[in-house]
Amino acid sequence: MRAEPASAEPASYADQADEWLVERCHSSADDAAFAELVRRYREPVFRLVVSILGQEFAPDAEDVAQDVMLRVHHSLRSFRGEAKFGSWIYRIAFNQALNVKARVRYRAPHVSDQALAATPSQERSPYDQLQGERRQRAVLACVGELPEVYQSALRLHYWLGASMSEIAVMLDAPENTVKSYLHRARQLLHAMLTERGFDAR
Amino acid sequence: MHDDEMMDRLLRDAMAADAPRLSPAFDARIMRRVRPRRLTSMGRAVIAVYMVVAAATAVWLMRDLDVKSIVAAVVIGVPVAVGASAYGRRLTAGH
Repeated sequence: MRAEPASAEPASYADQADEWLVERCHSSADDAAFAELVRRYREPVFRLVVSILGQEFAPDAEDVAQDVMLRVHHSLRSFRGEAKFGSWIYRIAFNQALNVKARVRYRAPHVSDQALAATPSQERSPYDQLQGERRQRAVLACVGELPEVYQSALRLHYWLGASMSEIAVMLDAPENTVKSYLHRARQLLHAMLTERGFDAR
Repeated sequence: MHDDEMMDRLLRDAMAADAPRLSPAFDARIMRRVRPRRLTSMGRAVIAVYMVVAAATAVWLMRDLDVKSIVAAVVIGVPVAVGASAYGRRLTAGH
């Protein structure tokens, strides 16, 4: 067990459990404890937010992650410890990102979908390159039409390089469920692309 | 090639761009927002002197007013001051 009684002075905040840090934030309004929580969760929260906002609104992700951290700070008193702190913060991040996405959905995109695709290979013919780019754009457009949790799992896995276990923690689902999200998302995408006249080959 | 593998390859190609990164100033920005602003001892002294002077000035200025005018001034002035203060705080928080 890493946690120690809240009254003890920590040797290093980095060695303490989340629950201990939350307790310090409660009982002593300890800024250093909250700073450690931010340091621990800033990257996964940011990645989760990016995975929900998608490529178009990725420039907003840092502001959303910041809002999530501020909301967590304001709501720490309501954290009862019934769930893990990580699950709690990811749920806040997921909901916050969905709200922002709903608000900005009809705003002009910051970057085109094309910016997400790899630089075209010089070895391919111009026709092949054009076809490839069209197909990539179609893939990204179809991803945006999938259920939110599928979109998030796909982007975390393919774009942000998160492992199955990381995705499982962020989406608060068992690893097998995440694998099934990805499998089902690929099936849906294949059907959508075929319907739009694209050959996945 | 199996459909699932083809989609896997297609998704890897379509999502091959660099992922966005957090700015290095992220933590500092958060902590600036959550830390209560504490006045220095000099700041506290200035505020205390100001309050005493303001109270004395208000009493001196209102010495010839009747009670009704003073009550009216308080009833109107307090909500206006509270509203202005809240608005100012919101503006500051926005930055």
